[in-house]
Amino acid sequence: MKPKVIVGVLVVAVGIVLGAVNFLDANVEYGNFQTAREMGKKLQVNGEWMREMQTSFDADKVVFTFYMKDENDEVVRVVYHGARPNNFEMASSIVAKGKFDGNEFHASDILTKCPSKYEGTGEDVKKSM
Amino acid sequence: MAGGLIVKFGFAAALGAAFLYAWAHARADRRAVLYGRLSFFASVAAQATASALLLFFILTHQFQYTYIWSYSSTNLPIPLLISTFYAGQEGSFMLWTLFTALIGLFLARYASRKDYEAEVMAVYSLILAFLFLMLVVKDPFEYIWVTFASDVIQSGPVPQGLANILVLDAAKGLWAQIPAEGRGLNPLLQNYWMVIHPQILFMGFSAMAIPYTLAVAGLLKKDYHSWIRVATPWSVFAALVLGVGIILGGYWAYETLGWGGFWGWDPVENSSLIPWLICVASIHTSLTQRRNGAFVRTNFALSLLSFVMVLYSTFLTRSGILGDTSVHSFVDPGMWVYWLLLLFIAVFVALGFGLLLWRMREMPKVPVQHSVLSREFALFLGAGALVFSAVFITVGTSSPIITTLLNGKASAVDIMYYVHTNLPLGIAITFLSGVGQLLWWRRTKTASLLKRMLVPAVVAFGVTAFMLLLGTEELLILLFVFTAAFSLAANVQVGWDMYRGNPKLAGGALAHIGIAVMCIGFVTSERYDETRTVALEKGKPAETLGYQLTYTGHRQVDAERYAFDVRVERDGRVLQVAPVMHYSEFTQSILRHPDLVNFLHRDFYVAPLSVEEATSGGSRAFELLKGTPTPLDGLSVTFLGFDFTDADRDAMMENKPFEIRALLEVVEGAKRERVVMRMNGGAGAPEYIPGRFESSSGDYAFTIVQMKPNQEDDSMSALVVSVTAPTDASRAGKDETLVIEASIKPYINLVWVGTVTLAIGFLLTMYRRLTERETSESEEEETEA
Repeated sequence: MKPKVIVGVLVVAVGIVLGAVNFLDANVEYGNFQTAREMGKKLQVNGEWMREMQTSFDADKVVFTFYMKDENDEVVRVVYHGARPNNFEMASSIVAKGKFDGNEFHASDILTKCPSKYEGTGEDVKKSM
Repeated sequence: MAGGLIVKFGFAAALGAAFLYAWAHARADRRAVLYGRLSFFASVAAQATASALLLFFILTHQFQYTYIWSYSSTNLPIPLLISTFYAGQEGSFMLWTLFTALIGLFLARYASRKDYEAEVMAVYSLILAFLFLMLVVKDPFEYIWVTFASDVIQSGPVPQGLANILVLDAAKGLWAQIPAEGRGLNPLLQNYWMVIHPQILFMGFSAMAIPYTLAVAGLLKKDYHSWIRVATPWSVFAALVLGVGIILGGYWAYETLGWGGFWGWDPVENSSLIPWLICVASIHTSLTQRRNGAFVRTNFALSLLSFVMVLYSTFLTRSGILGDTSVHSFVDPGMWVYWLLLLFIAVFVALGFGLLLWRMREMPKVPVQHSVLSREFALFLGAGALVFSAVFITVGTSSPIITTLLNGKASAVDIMYYVHTNLPLGIAITFLSGVGQLLWWRRTKTASLLKRMLVPAVVAFGVTAFMLLLGTEELLILLFVFTAAFSLAANVQVGWDMYRGNPKLAGGALAHIGIAVMCIGFVTSERYDETRTVALEKGKPAETLGYQLTYTGHRQVDAERYAFDVRVERDGRVLQVAPVMHYSEFTQSILRHPDLVNFLHRDFYVAPLSVEEATSGGSRAFELLKGTPTPLDGLSVTFLGFDFTDADRDAMMENKPFEIRALLEVVEGAKRERVVMRMNGGAGAPEYIPGRFESSSGDYAFTIVQMKPNQEDDSMSALVVSVTAPTDASRAGKDETLVIEASIKPYINLVWVGTVTLAIGFLLTMYRRLTERETSESEEEETEA
């Protein structure tokens, strides 16, 4: 074996391992509040904002808190260190990425899902006549 | 109607050109080349006409076309109105097709000079035909009554006095009204970046097709070497244009979209970076082939792959397959586009790589003769690292597809994935781009290499030490700074020598210098940045990051947008930033645009987060279900029921004054109290009288917002109340408060300086490769080394 071939094989092997480990590590799985509590690691939880429960934004600490109901109808207080996410009010569902700290779910990222927001519909056409 | 027909004609002409050129190749028929050329020119003319027509319709506000109604409006200024041409999917395919057609004119002339026309243009016309097909499926000229037939088409006698009426079918009495106004352009896209960035990006996409066609032509002609010479100027051109497009997008994100940085590893960004990396890798491996004939297959594979990755990226971002996993909302374009894009990929993978496998056996095998310490090997490793980076980014961007296959549910990888995988590769790439320039072809004596490495190494140590002074950081980051500084110094050293010899040869060194400077800028601005979130109360100066900030109030910029003026003071200098924040009717969301002050050595960057009204505490609405206690701050609130007497009911029926009472039970610790809210109705607007609760922290006021009695099941009755909390002691008496995220981005100008240097390096290289004669390559390369 020539040294070049060995270097090449080594580089490729290291590369594949590096990629695989990081992929598995950075790929945040889906779960619900129960699995997030049990596993204790970062998960993404899909759910619905509880409009009727307290939703607040602390301007001094920049903390946004709200209650979210997951797929098992479990309601948990979600603490997000950031401003109110875009489209929060109109979102049909919310994905919170984070993990539990005590009884609160601390989200590092919040994605809001909106039903096809940029597509015009026939109703819109009527309005623009 | 005319537009759609022209597009269909263009498709037929492009397909015909592909066929005629292929015929010319197969039968060595010179006449067929002429016919093919004519057919190709016809398709270019068709696309130019169709584009002009679409632009004309946009400028004259022809809202009977769904595409124009969807993306433009009468109140847009001319540059933005023109940019609505490519604001949606149909139009951006239109632009891509237009550029592909126009660049094809130059390519045809160029290829005919190099005796490559039949092969190159056969493949190129086929690509153009596919793009046309996309436009046939996603027709930008579709009429609004075709898209929304059930809503728009009316039947019966045409009413008098209505404007913009169009009779569709007089016999059946079908007619439609044309909208007077369009939906308008997404406000996120309404800035000058929209006017320049997409064109450059799509021109880059179009240009990426050329190395592919030249590689296929080389395979068809069994010309495994000289095609590289023909292709290089175009590869460099494609990398230059796409690279500039990518960076402009990054600057757009940084300066107006407020993503915080210039790169967010978003699928849309990644999808243009992947082909760029592969194209740059192919430029490097082709140098070795020019020199000693090695890497024949690698060069074919990489040139084919850069265009295939353009197609794959297009599939990722246009097919709707990424769905909800990204901040971009990917509109689902329908099954046709999805399958057409897949077919597009399949055809060009099969054509290119099938031919490559077919020809592989007969390709000359060049025995590898270089040592580990040779420029060839450094180029090989560098290209390998670039390809690896492209693979990692592709896997990451495809993660929603991969996780769907593995777990059945799509999820995207965290941004950290990209950083962790690309940082080691970045270290390798920058190191190799420095050391490669110091190595000779074939072999280098260790002693001479070490001697040449001395100055760059000293410079690199100096820069790294300076970084350590700025603040300690993780080892890999410091290593990255070291290799980037090393590459910078090595390329300045080598580039200067070349420049004195023949300025044309300095392009490569200059491009490396640009990359190295950019990398150092990435680290300083992204890793040594400081960010603070600050609440700025109006008129009260606050100190942050060494700057004194004063929020002086907001002002209305236009119908929707509000600017928030902040005075920035430091060492007696007074500056002004005005980030913008507004609710957009179009996207139905709050849009935030940052503002920044650019100093020579840093940016001071202000991103708005929110604005709090002067009255603190504020009111909020709750829905209370009957009998269910709801927590509120430290209290528990229960809706007991409505109190609505028969007398009141009679009064209501007779339209006389009446009163409805809603009862709450509020509990705080041991304190339990009944709170009565009232609504007085009758003639005129109803009057709401709040009920009060005295808590330990102050008075709460409850007001009826909406009553939801349930006649069938009273226990399901609900009530929406508005609660005004007592003034929070910590915010008592506070004025309007602007919450911002302020950050310092040290030496971010290095990123922009590096970008410009990189672009100049590419331009110089392109010029060199275009003007080089068929003279002995080795002579030229010798002076370079």
